[in-house]
Amino acid sequence: MKITVNRKRCSGCHLCELVCSLFHGGSVNPEKSAIRIKKDDLTTSMNMPILCRQCKEMKCLPGKKAEGEREKKKFIWDKSRAERCPFGALPVFGNKAYHCDLCQGRPQCVKVCTTQAISVR
Amino acid sequence: MLLDRKIAFIDLTTEKVRVKPIPIALRREFLGGRGINIHLLSRHYTPSLDPFSPDNPLIFGAGLLTGCLSFGSRITITAKSPESGHLGDSNMGGDFGAELIKAGFSHVVISGKSPNPVYIVIQDNQIEVRDAKKLTGLDTLETQKKLRAALKDDKVQIACIGPAGENLVRFAAIRSGMKSAAGRTGMGAVMGSKNVKALAVRGTRDIKLSDPKKYLPYYLATMKSLAGTKWAQALGKYGTPLLFSRANALGILSIRNNQSTSVGDQGYRLAAEALEPYSNGMLACFSCPVHCRHRFVIEKGQYQGTRGEGPEYGSIGSLGSKLGNLDLENSMYAIELCNRYGLDTISTGSYIAWAMELYQRGIIDQEVTKRPLVWGDRETITDVIHQIAYRKDFGNILAEGHFAQKVFGAASRDYLMEIKNFPIEMTDERLPKSFALGMATASRGACHMRSRASIDVLGLPEEVLKKLYGGPVSNDLASYAGKGRMVWWHEVLNAVSDSLGICRFLTVFSSPHALQYREFSRLITLATGLDLSPKALKQIGERICALEKMTLVKDGISREHDTLPKRYFDEPIPEGPARGAFISRNEFAHMLDDYYRLHGWNKNGVPKKNTLKRLGLEA
Repeated sequence: MKITVNRKRCSGCHLCELVCSLFHGGSVNPEKSAIRIKKDDLTTSMNMPILCRQCKEMKCLPGKKAEGEREKKKFIWDKSRAERCPFGALPVFGNKAYHCDLCQGRPQCVKVCTTQAISVR
Repeated sequence: MLLDRKIAFIDLTTEKVRVKPIPIALRREFLGGRGINIHLLSRHYTPSLDPFSPDNPLIFGAGLLTGCLSFGSRITITAKSPESGHLGDSNMGGDFGAELIKAGFSHVVISGKSPNPVYIVIQDNQIEVRDAKKLTGLDTLETQKKLRAALKDDKVQIACIGPAGENLVRFAAIRSGMKSAAGRTGMGAVMGSKNVKALAVRGTRDIKLSDPKKYLPYYLATMKSLAGTKWAQALGKYGTPLLFSRANALGILSIRNNQSTSVGDQGYRLAAEALEPYSNGMLACFSCPVHCRHRFVIEKGQYQGTRGEGPEYGSIGSLGSKLGNLDLENSMYAIELCNRYGLDTISTGSYIAWAMELYQRGIIDQEVTKRPLVWGDRETITDVIHQIAYRKDFGNILAEGHFAQKVFGAASRDYLMEIKNFPIEMTDERLPKSFALGMATASRGACHMRSRASIDVLGLPEEVLKKLYGGPVSNDLASYAGKGRMVWWHEVLNAVSDSLGICRFLTVFSSPHALQYREFSRLITLATGLDLSPKALKQIGERICALEKMTLVKDGISREHDTLPKRYFDEPIPEGPARGAFISRNEFAHMLDDYYRLHGWNKNGVPKKNTLKRLGLEA
């Protein structure tokens, strides 16, 4: 399972960030979300949802393959892993990176995306 | 917690900043946003307070649920209005209000006056006033770009003024992003008078919820049901321009300054469908599931390269049909000019329309205007907008708003479609009586956002209306019956939603199935822990309306001011689908009596002593 992005459809409402942080951390804070909306809001008004692509080969994790399966289920990662992501897809706040754990198979962000800019595949 | 968001008092004269918590008791009385703003303004408000004096406080107030997982995230900006001379406030969407909450503040009160241009930086509980010399003269978009570059953070949200605010144009707006505007009542001019170019805000603080486990499923269920309504679906596809065709078909548009009310089969030129070729997707304000703004660009022709978000029906109507201008591209360009200069699109269009009718009737001529003012003349419209923003030539006269009567002469008065010195918008209210009463009684002067029962055009079964409004209301748009009740009900509800930061379009406005007290109550309780029943919320709405009214009463506003332009009473609509419609003075008076009675105000529209006592507003 992975979440795919249709950039053109993103309305920039930030609801995905809000539910992600609330579901995982119990507080609303877009900084502590595994999905992030990058906005070009003073020029083209285009928005870009950015989140973990669930790569088969996880360049973010050096070391044994077995570790990947375990780490995939975790939401909070160490910041250093974000630096290894070739897509820059792991949001960082403070010394933590926020990784999409797919909400145990029921991604909350997809539920609030009324434009279907993000969907489950 | 949302309740731990603070209030900052910034005095630009003494250069002192004080930060205070907001007492829970105040939250229980006024929630936040527009409610707390009027509480704060009313303490300073006197009839002699000059809107441009340092003593006029400029109050930014985010709604109680702004920044949370909510339904929009709006902020209200309040001060005494330099445009009307009475109560001023303006409500803005976008991302600015939410960022202020994230930074730890829900309200900012700016008083005094800086000797030099400054901008105010608010970052995670810290406030700093900085020199804005390098920003002076920049338009609202360039100002934001420069500030983000200077602060090295593209997530900074900015509320700023453009040249119009700096030049104290009385209807200057405060702007944020490409499109959001606190447009009405000249809040940008108040900001300019204080020498404040911008507020730049960035926050990263948590919003802890009282009951996060229950909040999320409740929000998801409410959002799903709301987003599924026909109204939300249509708004999310077409934006507010969808209202243009409806208004044109009913004959409730302002055409050539309300000399006519429909453009008939030419309406397609400004209809929502005409906007589609320029649209490239829909955009939303912070925390809104409806996404009613287009992302648009004009790719060729005279206005090639014009891009923006929206545009709204209110702006298209004001700078298009109201001026006899059916050229959509020109309207879009004119709207963007206003946005860049920091002018309110609605007032700008309204004053130009007034001048055009005066010119048509020979009340003013080229000696004053320095150019012909011909209906629908595209270059005239865009040139005059430029002149207004920079107070050049004829624009310097129009920049004074209704005060331009001093130059135009007494004969000009009846042709300005205004209420309480504040111009009517893109519509004509002679047919829909609820709309007319709402305009006449709105506490910031002519305004459709205070109480418009857009739902009235649907002709819903009367038993549905009776249940909704708690009394009989006619489902005939042209009937006066029960419309006092309808307007009162919406006005009170809107005072609450504005204080929560929830968007009008997601509440009972155009759909009976949208949000109202029950949902508000649940959201507030789960988010903040404040136990406020639907009944208690309604009383808060009444309190806000009464306090706003008391502010007007201080100015000597009374029953005779809760009225409509002479044209509405004396000139039946001459042509089109609403031909013959007018407002009967007698019927209007009955409607007004009903409305006052439900509010607990006397025959002069002054809140009664026992009403003030019931609402805890005794002096």
